[in-house]
Amino acid sequence: MSPNPIGNKVEQLAQSLAEHIVPLIVDAINIDAILDKVDINQIVERVDVNEIVERVDIQKIIDRVDVQEIIERVDINAIVDKIDIDSLVEQTELGSIIARSTTGVLTEVLDVIRAQGVGLDDFIFRWCNLLLGRRKKVAGWPAGPPLLIAKAAPAP
Amino acid sequence: MTTVPVPSPALTVGRQGNYAGAVSRLAAFAADVGASWGLYTLGVAMLNAAFKLVSGHSFSLSNHQLPAFIVLTLWEFLYFTYQWAVSGKTLGMAVLGLQVVTKQGGPISGRQAVFRTVGLGITLFLTLGIGFLGIVYQHERRALNDLIAGTAVVYDWDARAARLRWIARKEAQPSAASSARRHGD
Repeated sequence: MSPNPIGNKVEQLAQSLAEHIVPLIVDAINIDAILDKVDINQIVERVDVNEIVERVDIQKIIDRVDVQEIIERVDINAIVDKIDIDSLVEQTELGSIIARSTTGVLTEVLDVIRAQGVGLDDFIFRWCNLLLGRRKKVAGWPAGPPLLIAKAAPAP
Repeated sequence: MTTVPVPSPALTVGRQGNYAGAVSRLAAFAADVGASWGLYTLGVAMLNAAFKLVSGHSFSLSNHQLPAFIVLTLWEFLYFTYQWAVSGKTLGMAVLGLQVVTKQGGPISGRQAVFRTVGLGITLFLTLGIGFLGIVYQHERRALNDLIAGTAVVYDWDARAARLRWIARKEAQPSAASSARRHGD
């Protein structure tokens, strides 16, 4: 029990007044207006970033990072899919290395024959469809056997 | 040396596993007829030489039409059936980058290889080649022998590697030319 009962009552009254008045004052303050008046750029200019960086122990932060976990989370296949192999071969020495190591006369001839064959197949197929008048119908035809087409389709 | 333009991925990589068209299949068949006929002729010549060496008498299989026909038929049957059963492709198909698969796209069985070869004979001689028209009008581009054996023919060559080689050649040619010029200086 307090030795001064009047003092206690005054203290409780002050506490109760404060609880009622402070929210009213806070509500009355227009924070946006105050922020508008504050020049953030000036504050930022005063901040010495280098000093902050010097105080930070980067090594300690790096030590805390679990690189293995990050690597496990990264989808390497997705990254590899994004690489434009064609341009990589075109723009680097990789192209001439592949050319020197794998290109033989027979391989070159086979590459040309096969690609030309596909082109001619398409040509004949288009003309046959034109002659048979079924160009629209052909659009819905399967490109290949289900097992092979499903394998060739990109992963979702 | 002229540079062949790099074919689009749609015509190379994008086509693998798709049903093969008439020109590639006809070219592969022509190559197979040539290869099998060449091997048969070589075999018959070797057989004649061996017979002459052993018996001292000259013998030519082509002088005996019926045995020659039977041997040739058997040889052609073996040529196609064995290769289809073992790898799903003949020599000609390997050159053109084609593969025989089941209707679903899996590897074919020996039984299907036998049916396909018998079906090939039926398509060639009984329908006088009309059975091949399925390659251009059937929705899975299957000829009569494919329908008999439950098979289909698809493109199956390493198009990705071919495309890289193509690009590499295109890239390597100017540097080779500039190197030659440097040596010329």
